[in-house]
Amino acid sequence: MDPYSAEGELMNIHNAFHAGQYSAVTTFDTSSFSSSNALSARILKLRAQLALGQHAAVLSELKITSNPDLSAVKVLAGYLQSVEKGQEGGEAVEAARTLASAQGENLTVQLCCGTVLARAGETEEALALLARHQGSLDAVALIIQIHLQQNRTDLAAKEAQRARKWAQDSLLVNLAESWVGLRQGGESYQSAFYVYEELAQAPSTQTTHSLIGQAICELHLGRLPEAESALQQALALDSNSADALANLMVLHAIQGQDTQELKSRLEKVRPGHQILVDAAAKREAFEAARAKYSPKFEV
Amino acid sequence: MSSPTMLTKFESKSSRAKGIAFHPKRPWILVSLHSSTIQLWDYRMGTLIDRFEEHDGPVRGIDFHKTQPLFVSGGDDYKIKVWSYVQRRCLFTLNGHLDYVRTVFFHHDLPWIVSSSDDQTIRIWNWQNRQLICTMTGHNHYTMCAQFHPREDLIVSASLDQSVRVWDISGLRKKHSAPTSMTFEDQMARANANQADMFGNTDAVVKFVLEGHDRGVNWVSFHPTLPLIVSAGDDRLIKLWRMSETKAWEVDTCRGHFQNASACLFHPHQDLILSVGEDKTIRVWDLNKRTAVQSFKRENDRFWVIAAHPEINLFAAGHDNGVMVFKLERERPASAVYQNQLFYITKEKHVRSYDFTKNVESPSMLSLKKLGSPWVPPRSLSYNPAERAILVTSPADGGVYELISLPRDTTGAVEPTDTKRGSGNSAVFVARNRFAVFNQSNQQIDIKDLSNSTTKTIKPPHGTVDIYFGGTGCLLLVTATSVVLYDINQKKQLAELSVNGIKYVVWSSDGLHAALLSKHNVTIITKSLEQVSTLHETIRIKSATWDDAGVLLYSTLNHIKYSLMNGDNGIVRTLDQTVYLVRVKGRNVYCLDRAAKPKMLQIDPTEYRFKLALIKRNYDEMLNIIKTSSLVGQSIISYLQKKGYPEIALQFVQDPQTRFELAIECGNLDVAVEMAKQLDRPKLWQRLSTEALAHGNHQVVEMTYQKLRNFDKLSFLYLATGDQEKLKRMAKIAEHRGDMTARFQNALYLGDVQNRIEMFQEIDLYPLAYMTAKAHGLEEQCQSILEASGLTEEQINVPIVGKPLSPLTPIVPTFKANWPVKGTSSSVFEKALLGQVEGIEDEAVTATNGYGDEDLLVPDAGTARNGQLDEAEEDEDVAGWDMGDDVDVEAESDFVNVESADAGAGSSEADMWARNSPLAADHVAAGSFETAMQLLNRQVGAVNFKPLEGRFEEILLASRTFLPANSSMPPLVNYVRRTVSETDSRKILPIIPRDLESIMVGEFAAGKTAMAKNKLEDGVQVFKKLLHLLLVNVVSSQQEVTEAKKVISTATQYILAMSIELERRALTKDSPNDLSPFSDDIKKRALELAAYFTVPDLEPQHKSLALWISMKFSNKNKQYSSALSFANELLDRSRVDKQQKDARQIKASCERNPTDAVEIDFDTFADFDICAASYTPIYQGSPSAMCAYCGAKYHAKYKGTVCRICGVCQIGAPASGLRLVG
Repeated sequence: MDPYSAEGELMNIHNAFHAGQYSAVTTFDTSSFSSSNALSARILKLRAQLALGQHAAVLSELKITSNPDLSAVKVLAGYLQSVEKGQEGGEAVEAARTLASAQGENLTVQLCCGTVLARAGETEEALALLARHQGSLDAVALIIQIHLQQNRTDLAAKEAQRARKWAQDSLLVNLAESWVGLRQGGESYQSAFYVYEELAQAPSTQTTHSLIGQAICELHLGRLPEAESALQQALALDSNSADALANLMVLHAIQGQDTQELKSRLEKVRPGHQILVDAAAKREAFEAARAKYSPKFEV
Repeated sequence: MSSPTMLTKFESKSSRAKGIAFHPKRPWILVSLHSSTIQLWDYRMGTLIDRFEEHDGPVRGIDFHKTQPLFVSGGDDYKIKVWSYVQRRCLFTLNGHLDYVRTVFFHHDLPWIVSSSDDQTIRIWNWQNRQLICTMTGHNHYTMCAQFHPREDLIVSASLDQSVRVWDISGLRKKHSAPTSMTFEDQMARANANQADMFGNTDAVVKFVLEGHDRGVNWVSFHPTLPLIVSAGDDRLIKLWRMSETKAWEVDTCRGHFQNASACLFHPHQDLILSVGEDKTIRVWDLNKRTAVQSFKRENDRFWVIAAHPEINLFAAGHDNGVMVFKLERERPASAVYQNQLFYITKEKHVRSYDFTKNVESPSMLSLKKLGSPWVPPRSLSYNPAERAILVTSPADGGVYELISLPRDTTGAVEPTDTKRGSGNSAVFVARNRFAVFNQSNQQIDIKDLSNSTTKTIKPPHGTVDIYFGGTGCLLLVTATSVVLYDINQKKQLAELSVNGIKYVVWSSDGLHAALLSKHNVTIITKSLEQVSTLHETIRIKSATWDDAGVLLYSTLNHIKYSLMNGDNGIVRTLDQTVYLVRVKGRNVYCLDRAAKPKMLQIDPTEYRFKLALIKRNYDEMLNIIKTSSLVGQSIISYLQKKGYPEIALQFVQDPQTRFELAIECGNLDVAVEMAKQLDRPKLWQRLSTEALAHGNHQVVEMTYQKLRNFDKLSFLYLATGDQEKLKRMAKIAEHRGDMTARFQNALYLGDVQNRIEMFQEIDLYPLAYMTAKAHGLEEQCQSILEASGLTEEQINVPIVGKPLSPLTPIVPTFKANWPVKGTSSSVFEKALLGQVEGIEDEAVTATNGYGDEDLLVPDAGTARNGQLDEAEEDEDVAGWDMGDDVDVEAESDFVNVESADAGAGSSEADMWARNSPLAADHVAAGSFETAMQLLNRQVGAVNFKPLEGRFEEILLASRTFLPANSSMPPLVNYVRRTVSETDSRKILPIIPRDLESIMVGEFAAGKTAMAKNKLEDGVQVFKKLLHLLLVNVVSSQQEVTEAKKVISTATQYILAMSIELERRALTKDSPNDLSPFSDDIKKRALELAAYFTVPDLEPQHKSLALWISMKFSNKNKQYSSALSFANELLDRSRVDKQQKDARQIKASCERNPTDAVEIDFDTFADFDICAASYTPIYQGSPSAMCAYCGAKYHAKYKGTVCRICGVCQIGAPASGLRLVG
């Protein structure tokens, strides 16, 4: 039986992982799991730890390992740590490449190394690695995200459509379709909204992730007060949620309100958030563009 | 065959029930038992009302009279008894039958009873004169049953002789009706027409003998409207017979009973036959097809009799161990509400919708004829707005559901084409694309998608009987003793609440609360299954719906009631017939009746709204309710009093006595005094005085003492409050009254020794008088007393006395005002009611503005902040803003669709924006700052972009959201569009924050306020921000473009005017108003600037303000000519009194000497602009340059520099004009 299927042991932990309930994943009681699922559960927990930014803890836990799955997680942890320190992480990328060529059939290798490669900008390599998956929705979701980051909504949509055929009830497929939908716009906004709302309003799956997703859909639909309340709910759950703060900044900008306070909060929580990085880059672009003009102030 | 829809409403336990009768109006049945008892039950409440025990042996026949409080019974003691259930006794007994009496029935209008008996006869009795009027013979075995025809003069009878007979009794009616004149011929004709029987009896003759049964016939019935007869026999058959005027014949046979059929009847409304038999079954047959529709089997009890309620859908069957009252089908129409629409299924099984707002019923949308079996109505309906689909369940065939899409347009009751079906007892939508199906037999819930394939299977807790929607992603599982909240995704129980026998769940519209309905209880829960309140009803609860304010309205069999969250409940209105509430909106309750027709009922929500407002302490609402509706009645008053709001209750009461009580309770002395005066009863004054004293309100206390003539208390009060005057008056009064004690007391309080002595003398208490005088050292008095009593000093033995006592007087004359009064409980509400709480007044009127210095005080002018744009204002700059086509953007260039490429990165949506739009703002949003700047440079000659940095950032920031996706991956960037419904990538455009409207109500208004409030620096900043916001922006129409341009030019004029004034103030800041200390140059410049301040084209009230300031400034500094011209203009323009007055004054004084002390460069008659850089006039004809964006004018020499007003554009640069719309 597929351990991720509706009856499988891993379903709940897996769903929680993809709903962004990372702390819930790390504390998930897996003691009763059968031995065959123990590794998968451990990997999910480690990946959740990484998502929570506990890179060092993961690295120290995996100091010596020969297991390909855990090595892959270790590579990812190493990469994330160096990125966090502001480094290129070239070493980790190389390690990812090596592991990918050696253990390309391993799903965890695909996912972790694929993530590393995609983040390092080696998109084609990442996609090639992930394409070797054997019916893994995790891999599909990652592929879809990479396509979207490439701005290839068309390819992402195709991937999602394929996945829907064989795993239509999965949370991940729904989520991935919503990601695509938010790029497509129009009626897809509403569909994406339904998915996130369903998650965000059900007590068990209400997380900052799902609330942010709901808020973003509302925001794209132009329903600003609703978006605001969803984001505030997300912040009530986790006042340090970087993504909630970032999107609240966006919302306030749309409403013409001041965003300075949120910005400084975000800078404290996660200085490397994309919105801040982008803003800094754009500031430079602005200066560069402005320099082409030489205004004269005095006669 | 199973019996899914037979709904048992009542069951009794007793010995074998042989006869049953329904009361035509009340919820009563009579049951006659084999044990000789007759029981009267209330089947609605399930209570035994009475027992009648006079028969000896089994009682087989029983019937209620249709109108009188009578019933009749017949038993194995050969007796027929007529009873009064009011007097609870047998009125009389009809004797005559010679064997067991099998059935007895009243005639529908004549005072007759028909009885059948084992003595083979059928007899008709007149119960008024208690006589046997007819004996019908012919059957040659026991007659088991005989009934009157419901309209015609016929009787049908069944006998063990295997025949059914129809008898004509018209002769009997004629004989017993009032005698009419009848000719001999008529009599003859009648005699001949009716063939006499063998005894010559023409009263009742056999009309038809129906033979067909092979065994004895146990029961026979007429159809209520059609000429049909149904009979049940020991041959286990139910036979249907038809008759015409002249003959009768067998139509068909219903086969199915496998033991003797005991009784049968026609359904009163539907084309059905019901029969019962000794095979322990109740069977329902289709009248037209004579096929079995359903059957119900009891485990151990043989059925003996069946009866139908004449009006409503109820039946009763008697068996070996009692009776059961049941109905064949649920009458609750399946329905679902979504927003303003009700979807429901009619009795014809058509799906219809009903619009609450328009109060219209749609035509039929679908026909569900094929759903389930024809005699079984659908049970539930669930609606999915996202897919416009319905999910219908039917209990037929062990439970089936169908998923059907509603047609887009209503074309009548068409059969649905695309339906998905399956078996299940309940089915509800749980998400946009999922529904749950519950199967009770295998205790399994399947979660299915819209293609009807199972995606998940859930094992509900043991004993689950039904499922309901439980909030997003959840189900409510109902078991017999609890309700469980179940999370579908996690597959686990979230919460459980013990509550018995829940039948329905009704969610509030906000999804935060639900009402769980059982037969007799309503339990209100939160969405996380916490119990909020519960209430019990003795009468059955039928339905419920939520008011938008969170009040639950529910219906019982005969009432609509409300329940607040705290469980407070009450009756809203009574009901004539059972209805199923679906929605409440304002004063309207929408419901479906038993015929599945939508109905709108009026209710008065005042009471519960008031209570709700009270609980929420929403005083405005309460006030509003009190003002607008007639909220009276003892219940609300006692409710308020009970809840501790006497002061509110006070508002509703007219009755003085109650008002007094309430006023005392809430300490409202004014009202209490008023009421006490009206009633004027000592007892009330007494209570008032106590209360007032407790409050410290001694003025009221004084009044009550006066009313009560409580002189000593009054005196003491005056003493305590230090009111000497009144105390003296009290002394006088005491003297008048001749009350010596009081007089003494008052004198003592007053310290009036003289008076005391006199008093003692008057009452001949000389020793005391003497002692008093002596003590106070009044020797003369002592002497005179001694003389009066004829004694000498030596004769008296005086004890040693201390110092005379004089009463203390209060230091503060507290009698003038009350003591510090205890705070009364006057609520906000009460104050509001008394009109003491003032609304928030428009502060604008009183807002003092900053023109605070004495000469320049502007009292009123600045207050009108929200002036309209002057419509007539000539927009001289419009020419420069003509919408020329831009030559720049490559928007029209061939658009290469990159999506066709197979691999590699695509272009982001932001890139599309830049391609799709010629507007600078869209390029900014796209992050393409360079092209944005190019556009602005070409359109308005923008060169200095520094001031726009914030605006650029803001637009960019607003255009992208960050969606967390896979773990350890950066969030997905999505692009926020203003074209929300557009999907064509060539038409999508970004959202641009701060639209024209928000700028108008924000910066534009704020800038003008700054002007009015003399916050000029702020004003300049705000208006400049406005210019920057509009420079990089988009609007939706040409009309808005015009509007935006007007705003731009107005802002420019304000900035110019404010800058000039600021310049002047900077120049003269050492001596703001008096120029005498300054050099001539400065004087001249200051005066010029004052004059130029009046030039920019401001809104009228601000123009007046500028004129007024400049006028006063000029006047003060002896520029009488200028001052005069400003005064004249001001008189023309200003509508402010103060300004008018000043202008008149200055005009009068200046006219005496219309010269300027300093000659300035200001020609009041010439038309000129002010250079925005040098603040000097640009007269017509002299060379000038202009800012292409804001339209500010400059002397030619400033050409090429950055505009001082907008701070962005190059003065005089070539420009195509700003584009704000694509």
